[in-house]
Amino acid sequence: MIIDWQPLLLTFKLASVTTAILLCIGLPFAWWLANSKMRFKPVIETLVSMPLVLPPSVLGFYLLLAFSPAYWFGQWLDRVAGLRLAFSFEGLVVASTIFSFPFLVHPIQAAFQNLPRSLTDAALVLGKSQWQIFTRVLLPNIKPALLSGTVLAFAHTLGEFGVVLMIGGNLPNQTRVASIAIYDEVESLNYAAANVYAGVLFLVSFLILLAVYWLNRRAAK
Amino acid sequence: MKNNLSKLLIALLFIFTTSLAHTEQLTIAIAANLKYVFDDLAIEFKKETGIESQSVLNSSGKIATQIRNGAPFDVFMSADMEFPDGLYKDGYATTAAKPYAYGQLVLWTMKDIDLTRGVAGLADSSVVKVAIANPKLAPFGKQALKALDYYKVRAAIEPKLVYADSITQVSQYLDSKAAEVGFSAKSIVVAPEIAGKGKWVEVPPEAYNAIAQGMVILKHGSEVNRDAAVKFYEFILSAKAREIFAKNGYQLP
Repeated sequence: MIIDWQPLLLTFKLASVTTAILLCIGLPFAWWLANSKMRFKPVIETLVSMPLVLPPSVLGFYLLLAFSPAYWFGQWLDRVAGLRLAFSFEGLVVASTIFSFPFLVHPIQAAFQNLPRSLTDAALVLGKSQWQIFTRVLLPNIKPALLSGTVLAFAHTLGEFGVVLMIGGNLPNQTRVASIAIYDEVESLNYAAANVYAGVLFLVSFLILLAVYWLNRRAAK
Repeated sequence: MKNNLSKLLIALLFIFTTSLAHTEQLTIAIAANLKYVFDDLAIEFKKETGIESQSVLNSSGKIATQIRNGAPFDVFMSADMEFPDGLYKDGYATTAAKPYAYGQLVLWTMKDIDLTRGVAGLADSSVVKVAIANPKLAPFGKQALKALDYYKVRAAIEPKLVYADSITQVSQYLDSKAAEVGFSAKSIVVAPEIAGKGKWVEVPPEAYNAIAQGMVILKHGSEVNRDAAVKFYEFILSAKAREIFAKNGYQLP
């Protein structure tokens, strides 16, 4: 039996790219949210959490309308940046970034909020800059949360199905990720291939989560 | 730790992007009933022209919607004439729909069910669930309903119907024994990968409208892969391809 490894590679590529982007956006965002005293903060927190409760088909539907060159936003993207997000890998990255956002932001925001104010104050008194405080004092103190947020976002992107089904179009090497390939192979009665993909995803997800719980327990000691 | 993590991510990215560097090839959107015959067609096409063609499989209706929303397919091989015709009229395809084969409807079961009475036999109490492809999206599902009408059993069978996403999902419903009988395509049940799984009978052609399957070259294809797309289009209409279709349970225009 020949197994096509591309769907698995593609899944890990999608999860890696998404997690990297999430770290760049989500980390400062979580810090800002933790310190913000804005009146509309609850509204922003609600928006961030929406992907947790929304059916993936709702998000998929809106993203399809947004990305499609048949509507104004997709048209505008195509004209200005030459970007076609529907049925492309880039589109999946944007979708997964939105979809996995709360998984990264929640634990990190909570950790920032739980840090005693005195840490920052002490560093300020010692003449450290905001940037130094952030990278040398705050970040090292929220390591466990940073780890679980990153890993959860990665693992959650691995398991994404509904959104990809709606905006991916099942293109080999582009949008046929492992979860979609499983669906495909089962439909074709090719249970052997489905088993391989499903088995790998199961094992990787298990190991990733195990590692998080393990490390967090060690950090708690 | 953050440094190590970003180094790791960059390394991973590098590995993945290099391993996915892709070669120029055609992307053909195919109706689900072409699942098995397409492999033979692609192999022969490669032999004749050296061009790789990869398939994206779905129900014809879903493919049409994806194309309207910007899916980058080069050629669309539908299970009917309506979906490709609509795409041509609205400017998503550059050629009018051209029939390349006629699909045949079959009844298929993987249980010990008597199919000799044909569609009328589905009213029997031993048949609890009947799988058909979603008639809104899949031409074979639409014609299955026609056949129920023809034998005047639609009212009796309708409560037993389960709707699959496409004709290939019908196979899965039958294989998992979730449904006793299903309407499928002859091209599916005669495929070597499937042969020997259960038994099937043809639905007599007078019971439904002939399933003329049309093909179009899409806008994306004529913009990005013009020569290869035209070569593929011509190949599908060639004597060699007709021979492959005939061998795989299709009738020819």
